[in-house]
Amino acid sequence: MTTDANNLAEHTSSHGFWREAWRRFRHRKLGMLALLFVVFLCLVAIFAPMIVGTKPIVCKYKGTLYFPAMGYYVRSWENPIFRKDRFRNTYPKNLKEKDPDSWAIWPLVYQDPYRRVRNDEWPGRPGNPSGTKGSPSRLNFFGTDQVGFDVFAQMVHGTQIALSVGFISMSIAGAIGITIGALAGYLGGWVDVLLSRLIEVVMCIPSLVLILALVAMLDEVSNYHLMAIVGVTSWTGIARLARAEFIKLKQMEFIAAARALGASRWRIMFLHVLRNALAPVLVPITFGIAAAILIESGLSYLGFGASPPNPSWGTLLKSGRNAIQQTWWLIVFPGTAIFLTVLAYNLIGEGLQEATDPRLRQDSH
Amino acid sequence: MRNTIVLTLFLAMLSLSPTWIGCSSKQESASPAEQDAKQGSAATADTSADEAGEEAEVAAPVKPFVLGDMLEPFEPPTLEEIDATAEWIEQPVLDGMELMREEQAKQGEPQLSVEEALALRNNSPADNEKLIHTLGRLAPPDHAGVDFDETFVREAQGDLKSTNPLLFSTAMDGEFSDLAGIGMFGFDRHFTPFASKDSVVSWQTSKDRLMDKLVLRDDLTWSDGRPITAHDVEFSFKVILSDAVPIPAVRSGTIELRYVKAYDDRTLVIFHKEALATNIWNMLFPIIPKHIYEDSLAEDPTMSRSAYHSKLEDNPVVGGAYKLVKRVRGQEFVVERREEFYMHQGKQVRMKPYFKQIRFKVIEDPNTALLALKAGTIDDHRIDTEQWISQTDDDDFYKYNTKLTALGWDSYYICWNFKTPFFEDKQVRQAMSFALDYKEMLNTIFHGLYQPSRGTFHPTSWMFPKENPPEPYQQDLDKAEDLLDAAGWEDSDGDGIRDKMVDGNRVPFQFTLLVHQRPDAIKVGTLLKECLSQIGIECFIKPTEFTVWVEMNRTKAFQASMGVWGTGADPDTQTNIFGTGAGRNSGNYSNPEVDKLFEQARKEFDREKRGELYGEITKLMWEDQPYTWLVYRNSFYGFNKRLRGYTFSPRGPYGFSPGMSGIYKAAMP
Repeated sequence: MTTDANNLAEHTSSHGFWREAWRRFRHRKLGMLALLFVVFLCLVAIFAPMIVGTKPIVCKYKGTLYFPAMGYYVRSWENPIFRKDRFRNTYPKNLKEKDPDSWAIWPLVYQDPYRRVRNDEWPGRPGNPSGTKGSPSRLNFFGTDQVGFDVFAQMVHGTQIALSVGFISMSIAGAIGITIGALAGYLGGWVDVLLSRLIEVVMCIPSLVLILALVAMLDEVSNYHLMAIVGVTSWTGIARLARAEFIKLKQMEFIAAARALGASRWRIMFLHVLRNALAPVLVPITFGIAAAILIESGLSYLGFGASPPNPSWGTLLKSGRNAIQQTWWLIVFPGTAIFLTVLAYNLIGEGLQEATDPRLRQDSH
Repeated sequence: MRNTIVLTLFLAMLSLSPTWIGCSSKQESASPAEQDAKQGSAATADTSADEAGEEAEVAAPVKPFVLGDMLEPFEPPTLEEIDATAEWIEQPVLDGMELMREEQAKQGEPQLSVEEALALRNNSPADNEKLIHTLGRLAPPDHAGVDFDETFVREAQGDLKSTNPLLFSTAMDGEFSDLAGIGMFGFDRHFTPFASKDSVVSWQTSKDRLMDKLVLRDDLTWSDGRPITAHDVEFSFKVILSDAVPIPAVRSGTIELRYVKAYDDRTLVIFHKEALATNIWNMLFPIIPKHIYEDSLAEDPTMSRSAYHSKLEDNPVVGGAYKLVKRVRGQEFVVERREEFYMHQGKQVRMKPYFKQIRFKVIEDPNTALLALKAGTIDDHRIDTEQWISQTDDDDFYKYNTKLTALGWDSYYICWNFKTPFFEDKQVRQAMSFALDYKEMLNTIFHGLYQPSRGTFHPTSWMFPKENPPEPYQQDLDKAEDLLDAAGWEDSDGDGIRDKMVDGNRVPFQFTLLVHQRPDAIKVGTLLKECLSQIGIECFIKPTEFTVWVEMNRTKAFQASMGVWGTGADPDTQTNIFGTGAGRNSGNYSNPEVDKLFEQARKEFDREKRGELYGEITKLMWEDQPYTWLVYRNSFYGFNKRLRGYTFSPRGPYGFSPGMSGIYKAAMP
């Protein structure tokens, strides 16, 4: 009897909400494929300078080890020694010339997202073709744009932009949206009235107009500016959802129990309620990432993106538009990347929604 | 028809001050009319047309209208008194078509027949030459082969904003005024001015060059049937110099005149303040009908707000070869030949304009325009370099069209602002010029289709120095770095960016380059950024919309700015760009010697001597490098195969005499 009871207890013990959600998500093939694709993109984004670039990943120069490729992440991470003594940032030639004992480990592909690779820059290698002659080739996997910039290099480095735009802007939106939604939903009363009106006011602000105004005002527009604007204008949906979840959850018994145990208001809000409200909130965040990527690509396509040179997928599409009949590779590759990435996020969002909302579970019927 | 071109000149010469070639972000380059109307005179012009339009819009009629209240007090002498003392010198009254025919006759017979030319593809400069000589041939004096019933469907890169020539503000306003306006002067493709035979009987200048006397023809009529008289000219002059009328752009050249007096319906004397070689350009102002506007201006000096003026806007009374018959905003406007322009009292008095109708279709996107040209729905298109290289070589293009190129003088430049810690030093500006990779710019960005720049005047112009002329810069990073070191810009803190102590502060060499949102400008900016990064300078590129770009240049709110100067007709217009404290001297350049030479050149009437003075100016400025001059831009056009008679000036196929007037559609066999 005791054994039976134990078996029963083992059998009915809960895996926990997240584990359960993950288990259900895992069974969704499309969702998993999309997740794998996003993980792949993340890897590409993180290791972009190692995949394609014209700066060595690591080199020994005048007796010291350097990591010049880090300059692709942040300019100042590239040691200034490579800008002195007329080194001029041109590695293949100058490393050997200025220090015959130097050695370097190069990225997998010698191309640059910010400039055209010139003739003989890498010994024996021809310069990138320009105009409409840059169709995909052995040296330029995805071809080159009109001024000879390698499309593959721009796409790989553009992944950083696409992903960071999505993640960072939605992190900002999530932080604001969840906080405001939580306060409005949990505290209720006049706080709810005020915050709800605030949400409505922000909903009326068109982010595109704000971005255009910002682009006009700033001297150097970076993608971080775009992320910030997208983030601070797109939290309203998240806030509304969070508010509704908080209103629903604060009346549950476990909250009453926590309150009876003397937990503080903030502890209840952000520890007990939030973790239960998070799943539905993740869904709009996922869709928001997809939307943010589209916004960034659209802005770059229209010429209102980050200051040039900006190796964004949207910028590539824009350059392809000028000679659409000749330079198909400037449309097909970045277009496909944008499509697949947005689709992946939407599939993940959909999968999350179904995995976390019992009403949508296919296996619940 | 030819004197319609003359109005172009009016608009072109509206001011002696400079204007930039601009465009919407959608198009690569400005339309010819834009250069025409806005640049007016040589590579410069004062207030931009766009700007002029904006000013016109914002300026409310706050002041009461008093006709000619900006004029200094002047009592014109009687005509008899003038004739007694003036010692008139006869000036040329010419016909642009005849001049062009003479020039073409000197070139000899075309190397090809028309059929051969139409079958030829433009693959080399030699082919281009053959095509221009054959298809660009004007119709013979008897106009044999011209189909007078045809319509010319032209590409309009923007919409028509106003049909009133005083209110012109866009490229298309200039185009409309070319066709529908009336004027007294014109200039040929070499920018030599003359009075137009179509509207003027005689033109004389007093010996002291302080007066010009014109006798107008008596067979000119407005489209409402009233005669065009000297009183209309005097009235237009006074309207332009009325403070309440918000037209600063039109006013800026005209204000240099002392007075315009109509002594009778046909006789006109123009009084100048000073004897200058540039007086001819000041006399070019638009003419409006006195009987239409004299009573309405007091009520609405803006000429655009009252119901009466609004009605006139869509049904303008015009004096030129064509009149407006249709206007669908944002889509198209259509002008139709005026029979009474060339027929007077049953007799033909002027050349019959070649087209029955000219239809301007608004297509802002150059790619769409090219597709329309290929489909035969428009007859002309200004091709950009990308299209020239890659999209106009196939059967699809040559089925209905051919393409031509011609030397252009429009000048790309980067202006350095002297009022920044960076560019006050000549050595730094020279270093900037040495840093740019010109080969990459010319061959990769401009596909080898533009010419390397050698200063503010084009080498083929009479202003370019004949002795020791400037040679194009070549990239020399070592020299650039030496110059920067000598100027004190060194990387003292070891961060890879040069810096210098300025007023006790360490200033890193980081600056922003303002460009307008044209793809080629952004590409050149990106290339400069790459080059400067190699020598420890950080350059940020800031693309802006054209009107913002103009405003930032006007207010000098930039560190470096890239732009294009259009081709003007007189080099004196550059005083306004490079003269100390001049209106368009955005970079705050100042060289007293250059100022002095500009002043001398303005007073010099002998073209050769004047040319030498401008040559000196060119050399001095080449040494100073207030700009890094980049390239001269050529013209590239696609024309329907039925079109003939297109000729080119350094500003393109339009905007001079004969220009548009010479173009016709050949009669079908």
